[in-house]
Amino acid sequence: MRIFKNLGQALRGLRLNRGNTILMTLGVMIGIASLTVIVAIGDGIKIKVLSRIANMGFGPESFSVIAGAGRMFFSRSKNTTSMTLEDAEDLLALPTVRLVVPRQRTRTQIINKKEFTGTRVYGVTPDWQLARGWKMADGDFLSDNDLDRRKRVIVLGATPARKLFKGKDAVGKMVRVQNNFYQVIGLLEEKGMTESGYDPDDRALIPLTTSMSRLTHQTYLHSIKVVALDSSQVPETMEAVREILRRNHNLSVLADDDFRFVTPEGIMQWVTESEQALNRMLILISTVSLLVGGIVIMNILLVSIRERVREIGIRRCFGARRSDITFQFLFESVLVSLLGGLMGVGLGLTISFGLKRFDVLPTHITVEPFILSFVFCSLIGLIFGIHPARKAAFLSPEESIRS
Amino acid sequence: MNLIEMNSICKSYRNIGFETQVLKDVTLHIKEGDYVSIIGPSGAGKSTLMAIMGCLAQPTKGEYILDGEEVGKLNDRKLSRVRNEKIGFVFQAFHLLPGVTALENVTLPLVYAKNPPRNIKERAKELLAKVGLEHRLHHTPGQLSGGEQQRVTIARSLINDPRIILADEPTGNLDSKNGIETMKTFDNLIKEGKTIILITHDQEVAQHAGRIISIRDGQIASDSKVSHEEQNRSL
Repeated sequence: MRIFKNLGQALRGLRLNRGNTILMTLGVMIGIASLTVIVAIGDGIKIKVLSRIANMGFGPESFSVIAGAGRMFFSRSKNTTSMTLEDAEDLLALPTVRLVVPRQRTRTQIINKKEFTGTRVYGVTPDWQLARGWKMADGDFLSDNDLDRRKRVIVLGATPARKLFKGKDAVGKMVRVQNNFYQVIGLLEEKGMTESGYDPDDRALIPLTTSMSRLTHQTYLHSIKVVALDSSQVPETMEAVREILRRNHNLSVLADDDFRFVTPEGIMQWVTESEQALNRMLILISTVSLLVGGIVIMNILLVSIRERVREIGIRRCFGARRSDITFQFLFESVLVSLLGGLMGVGLGLTISFGLKRFDVLPTHITVEPFILSFVFCSLIGLIFGIHPARKAAFLSPEESIRS
Repeated sequence: MNLIEMNSICKSYRNIGFETQVLKDVTLHIKEGDYVSIIGPSGAGKSTLMAIMGCLAQPTKGEYILDGEEVGKLNDRKLSRVRNEKIGFVFQAFHLLPGVTALENVTLPLVYAKNPPRNIKERAKELLAKVGLEHRLHHTPGQLSGGEQQRVTIARSLINDPRIILADEPTGNLDSKNGIETMKTFDNLIKEGKTIILITHDQEVAQHAGRIISIRDGQIASDSKVSHEEQNRSL
């Protein structure tokens, strides 16, 4: 077959014009490598966000009300003092509500003699354990008695427990949080670090009343977790919660809410939206980088053809048709972009693996970049090769032999 | 029958509005087996005449019949085939593919042949042996001397067994010893029945041919037979 002979001549051409071949390969390689890395990062971030949501401990029937207006994942405004324990009691009175957990959250240090660790200390009610469904590894959870008597007791997550007690028995020991000593009464069961690096075990729990009087010195709540009887009742429960809170906080009809909801649906919607934005950005960047690769190929091929005018003339003298020359140069450009694509995927995977290995960015490697780069590279080779190839084919044999 | 029949061929090039007439009304008939020299000073139109004869360029006006086919009416496909099958080119500057071995250079025309023979390599080796290069099969042009390169181009021009050899200043880049070698090779080819058209500006080289056509200012100035004595003297 004539076309296979052209392919053979193309391979020879690539071998003989090594410098140009390497430059063209590099152009595509960089484009495909960035595409591979971008896809890996995109997938990695998606997985990280999804796993973080899973670790927030949301069942489908629960949602949180956070003090202060604003966006879902941004930190609460420090001075929103309107949410109180009375609000929590009113919410519990709603017919569709099963559990209500009022919370305060402080980031501080816990100290055991010479050992210390920074962690999140939550002031909660005993219902917290029911709402989260979190089992104990040792000891007991906070009791109503602890809450009523503002006892200085603490339940440790697995991470602070390990850091403070180095595997020794912790229950019954005393730890210091700011100016007060607390007795460790229980240890939470370990959930383990997620793939994305979020550590759900990095927390400690004390009675809400103790938190109010000894840790935060605040009487207002930072958030309330609400668990409805059934997931189908979540929307109407949220509406009822909004009504109660607006009334309790004396908000006029025109005023905005001074609290916000975090719901599983809300998070999913946020994730979907950010994923779409991310994907749009990825497509844009990939297109630009592939375009650059294609233009590099076209330019180098055009220069290469100027250098190889005589070769083209010789081939024409000895019977090469225009189509033979066209196919030879098209094959050269497609082969070069496929080679560049292959090397680019290799480089991209190496970079993606490195980013993950050294904790720079979460990446996830899939089969997509292989397929994508194969398709894109063939297309790039064809699209950006056709102009130089036609140009070479339509050189006059008489003039090119004389040059 | 004439193998090459050129009737009132004109060729002009247009350059930024200027029209340069390179060939003016050239009429020329060459029979199969003829050994023809075309001589003339540089710029006389020798190379253009050769380009038209070799189907590398089309005449602006006139009729060119090669082996019974009117070249002006052929498309690129058929023209390429004519070049491939009927004509063997030998160039002053050799025009070998750089970086490619002598053997592969010789087989280049077969890449584009319609029905290439099976024993390509053997034929190429045979031809290279015929020009005395059996020890240089795998050398690239850069590793060969000028005389050796010219012999490779001659082997290449013969691989498709063409009827016409078009040689453009074949001795121009060679020393006298290699020049004489090349001319001897051509003399042998004539004995094998090839038609040779030799373009040169060297009167002595031209004397090898049986017929000398002199070109001046794009027109045939003289067309003369060379006597056997003259031919023999130059040998």
